[in-house]
Amino acid sequence: MTVKITLVKKVMADGSPCKKCADVLQRLEKSGYIQHIDHIVEAHENDSTSEGMQLAQTLQVDKAPFFIVEQADGQQVVYTVYFKLVQEVLKHLQ
Amino acid sequence: MTKPLNTLQLQLEYSERDPEAILELAFNTFDNIAISFSGAEDVVLIELATRVTDNISVFTLDTGRLHPETYRFIDQVREHYGIEIETLSPDYAELEPFVKAKGLFSFYQDGHQECCGIRKVAPLRRKLSQLDAWITGQRKDQSPDTRAHIPVIEQDLFFGSQEKPLYKFNPLAHWHSAKVWETIHEYDVPFNELHHKGFVSIGCEPCTRPVLPNQHERAGRWWWETATQKECGLHASNQSK
Ligand code: SF4
Repeated sequence: MTVKITLVKKVMADGSPCKKCADVLQRLEKSGYIQHIDHIVEAHENDSTSEGMQLAQTLQVDKAPFFIVEQADGQQVVYTVYFKLVQEVLKHLQ
Repeated sequence: MTKPLNTLQLQLEYSERDPEAILELAFNTFDNIAISFSGAEDVVLIELATRVTDNISVFTLDTGRLHPETYRFIDQVREHYGIEIETLSPDYAELEPFVKAKGLFSFYQDGHQECCGIRKVAPLRRKLSQLDAWITGQRKDQSPDTRAHIPVIEQDLFFGSQEKPLYKFNPLAHWHSAKVWETIHEYDVPFNELHHKGFVSIGCEPCTRPVLPNQHERAGRWWWETATQKECGLHASNQSK
């Protein structure tokens, strides 16, 4: 299964990472699943033009972090719950 | 047979540890273990468990008398985490004669024990007989009378036996309600919409009502009974203490 996974993480107005995003990144590293994340994009809280904020707006997502999983056929699925991403996608990747 | 655990030693070691460490101990020690989900705010247990294991097994008791909001919430949790939630129903062979003989609201006269026995305790006993350990969201701050001494790990002698030991983990025992809600908000954990309507401790619809500000949360459960009777037998060890 060829998929492309983008992680959108939030950066707070003061420049610090959001706690939940940092937590999820740590879990990705610890499990080794980080190798399946193709792209990490930042959503700056005080910059609506940042790439992550634009993606959030386009995809109508109001939670961070979130993941965009793009299938080989171009279909996109958004995950806002890390555990669900693990269960439905990451676990099945080689 | 499960290898006996030294629960006293573990309780000493883990009594001050955070819930994730206790969950890690639970999942590393037992494969045949499940989370008991009440449909209230102990959904944080599921959230915390997702951080330490990929193999989550969750069950809930469908008494048939839950609020519609609770049923919707159970499904929302299933969808949110992409997990199965096993819903346990009462045995109709027990339930039907009971309702036929006593009607649907006998608990207001007779006390809740009989109805809870059929709708909750018996299905729970059936489920627990298949497990080596279970995880609950019980907290000490929930009931001053009956939950003040909850350990983070204990041998469950009510539902288990010496021959077939059953262990119970209570990772949130030391958490206060405020900490639970902090986690719910910080991690966008779904919660039962009844909390917006003044409900704190949520159980069956006929036996739960909202509490007033500064009233204790258990005051909304089985309000026609005295405080020391306000347990449904799911955590029977609480009652003997
Ligand atoms: S809480 Fe009330 S309705 Fe629910 S099982 Fe107990 S007595 Fe019956």
